[in-house]
Amino acid sequence: MAEQGSLEGSQPVDLSKHPSGIVPTLQNIVSTVNLDCKLDLKQIALQARNAEYNPKRFAAVIMRIREPKTTALIFASGKMVCTGAKSEQQSKLAARKDFKIQNIVGSCDVKFPIRLEGLAYSHGAFSSYEPELFPGLIYRMKQPKIVLLIFVSGKIVITGAKVRDETYTAFENIYPVLTEFRKVQQWYASLSLYLSLYLII
Amino acid sequence: MSCKACGLRTLIRDDATENMICDSCGTVQDFINYQERAFNINGPTGVFISIGSSGCGSVLNYKEKKIYEANNLIDDVVFKLGLTGGSKVREIRDMISKVTDGRFGSSESRWFSIFVGACVYVVMRNDDKSLSIEEVSSVVGCDIHELGRMVMRVIEHLGMKLPGFDLVGSFERVVRSLSILDRVEEDVLERMRKQGIFLVQCAVKWFLTTGRRPLPVVVAVLVLVAELNGVEGVKIEEVAREVHVAVSTCRLRYKELLEMIVKVAQEILPWGKDVNVKNAVKNAPLVIRYLETKCMSKSGGERKGLESTKFDLGEVVGECFSKNVEYGVEEDSFEYEDLRYFELEDATGFDKAGIDEVDKLQLSHECLSMVYDKFLKDGGCGRYMEGSGKVLGKKSERELEIQATEWWNGKSELSKKLLLKQLLEKDVGFSVMPPSFVNGCTKVKKRRAKINAAKLRIDRIMNPWKSDSGSGKACTAEGALDRKRKRKSLVKDIDWEDFVIETLLLHQVKEEEIEKGYFNTLMDLHVFNSGTIFLTVPGKLGLHLALVKAMPASVSGMTFTDILSWGGEVLKDAFPGFVSCLVSGVVCLVYCSIADFTYTPNILLLTDIAFQNGPISTRLGRANCGAHLRSAG
Repeated sequence: MAEQGSLEGSQPVDLSKHPSGIVPTLQNIVSTVNLDCKLDLKQIALQARNAEYNPKRFAAVIMRIREPKTTALIFASGKMVCTGAKSEQQSKLAARKDFKIQNIVGSCDVKFPIRLEGLAYSHGAFSSYEPELFPGLIYRMKQPKIVLLIFVSGKIVITGAKVRDETYTAFENIYPVLTEFRKVQQWYASLSLYLSLYLII
Repeated sequence: MSCKACGLRTLIRDDATENMICDSCGTVQDFINYQERAFNINGPTGVFISIGSSGCGSVLNYKEKKIYEANNLIDDVVFKLGLTGGSKVREIRDMISKVTDGRFGSSESRWFSIFVGACVYVVMRNDDKSLSIEEVSSVVGCDIHELGRMVMRVIEHLGMKLPGFDLVGSFERVVRSLSILDRVEEDVLERMRKQGIFLVQCAVKWFLTTGRRPLPVVVAVLVLVAELNGVEGVKIEEVAREVHVAVSTCRLRYKELLEMIVKVAQEILPWGKDVNVKNAVKNAPLVIRYLETKCMSKSGGERKGLESTKFDLGEVVGECFSKNVEYGVEEDSFEYEDLRYFELEDATGFDKAGIDEVDKLQLSHECLSMVYDKFLKDGGCGRYMEGSGKVLGKKSERELEIQATEWWNGKSELSKKLLLKQLLEKDVGFSVMPPSFVNGCTKVKKRRAKINAAKLRIDRIMNPWKSDSGSGKACTAEGALDRKRKRKSLVKDIDWEDFVIETLLLHQVKEEEIEKGYFNTLMDLHVFNSGTIFLTVPGKLGLHLALVKAMPASVSGMTFTDILSWGGEVLKDAFPGFVSCLVSGVVCLVYCSIADFTYTPNILLLTDIAFQNGPISTRLGRANCGAHLRSAG
């Protein structure tokens, strides 16, 4: 069973960094690279097997790199956008040179349902909840400047970070707020109501 | 100048009409006659009429014309939406003017009509008039998302904040405006409206509306209410068409609503077990009656609140201690609570039950009298309660069909529009989890089972000598019969997900991570991680890894021992000398023969490695695995 044990994940979550005990999973990292030279896209498209170029549809060569599994858009100006990486190293490896991460997308599950209406109501300044248009609540956090999509099922998408830690901080900031609006909240409310009634008497 | 028809230069002026005509062929020439009209010896004569002018000397320029036509468009849109009230239209116009700095826009351009629609929507929404975005977009003739984006831009530009969507208002509006309901009598309509509002608010409480488009829920409630009141001809399809929403979504919401009613019925009705979606409509009156009674017994609700917090605290503590968060614990506890509560009510009548509960709680007399006073003040529902228990009991014994007037009281606060906060604090005696959350939980559980099954399979491969005796024991030792059943069924039809899970497990990915189900991410991070981290695993494990990873779907039904014996046979025929090599070598060969159906190159390569039986980098396996997984999609 020793081997069995080795299969289990052994690293515990660092609670000082993630007090909620949940670590958002990074799903996508978008980075840009400036090659600082003009490129002949046609030539690239002809030379590379994994390139796709249709100038009528999109003015860039779409290159799908197999390992790491990423997609790069190569523009004639020499600028390149690399998407689909799951970690910073992967993104860097795919892009290689003069490289800047533009966006990190992460997601996680808080494992309790969230009353979006209540959250939208009490955090009106930051949130936009329009069920007619989008099922999630869009929460624009100011510090760090991150956008979170919060869904009733308890699933969260965190986007807009430039470094991994921003994603984590944003989640740790929002987590206590979400626990406030988890479904059982109403019972706490009625408890406090009752207690206050009691105190008056 | 020559004639346009015959080309001869025989044009003369006809004195009667002052047109130029050709003398030879008689064709009327089609120009230069204006000269004659416009000028005489004294200069210009007559009145100039040109497009864009309104009277002598005042020529409208481009801008004024544009604004004039833009206003026409605004009037048109506003009229089509049935908003002819003066102040509203003025407000809309002001907003458009403000956003565009008084420049409005060309009425022919698409963006402007969308913009007008957006402004109408914003003004109405701000005023709690609950005009739906679907309605506006159908008038403007655009997609709701286009309109939505414009709405967002408008409110951002103006620095406004829209109030939350008013579902109840929206329901009322639909009831008012629906042409199908025109012939329904006034009092029936009023009752439908109240019941509808009640149900809509229940739906809000039951998470049927959170994160969903509001109108389909409204349609579902309306159809149900119409059915309950015996109003015929209110079909989901027709209502959906009239409010411009997708029929299938409405059907889905209707189904969810019925399922919820079934759930409540199963909790509260003595014959609850027999209630299903098919006869839910028949039982709905009783359910609604129960819910209504429940939410009217406000003081009762409060007392209950105190009791149920015990469960809450217990749950919270439990959650802290146990690592596996059990879903739906609190839900169950509430339901039990309700059930018990109702049994008491059923057996002894409400009043007695109330006293019992109060006694149990040991409240002071002052408090008791205060609660009772409040209870009486709440629309005298104390008296009503007294009767209700009996009526309910009698009815439940005799028949299912009850006249709407009998089961509907309509005095509860929930049939009036409530603020969200009030609504959330109200107790309808039944609480559930949102459907998407429940789905998420089932998926996690399913993945958990798959992980366990995968672990068992891996264990069997890693300890093949134990496989015959050990695996059976391991299964029973687990004690969980259902898991065993699940595992068996999984072995029968192993799908891509099982392979992915196995691969991830072998790459030492945490089980909690796998449970989340972000397979693409995990595969990219741990499996296809291109050489940034080189995982070196012991030879045997590495080979198993390769085997498991590369096993194509076609042989997925086979167990490891099957493959081993089969592979042995194959090898005996093909390369007799190799049979005696190490077990892991066999595994390797088997893997090659199964995976590629071509023996030579891969076998040579892999057997070399197998003979060495040293560490094998996952890179080898990865290359093969990658190809297979990708080809399998």
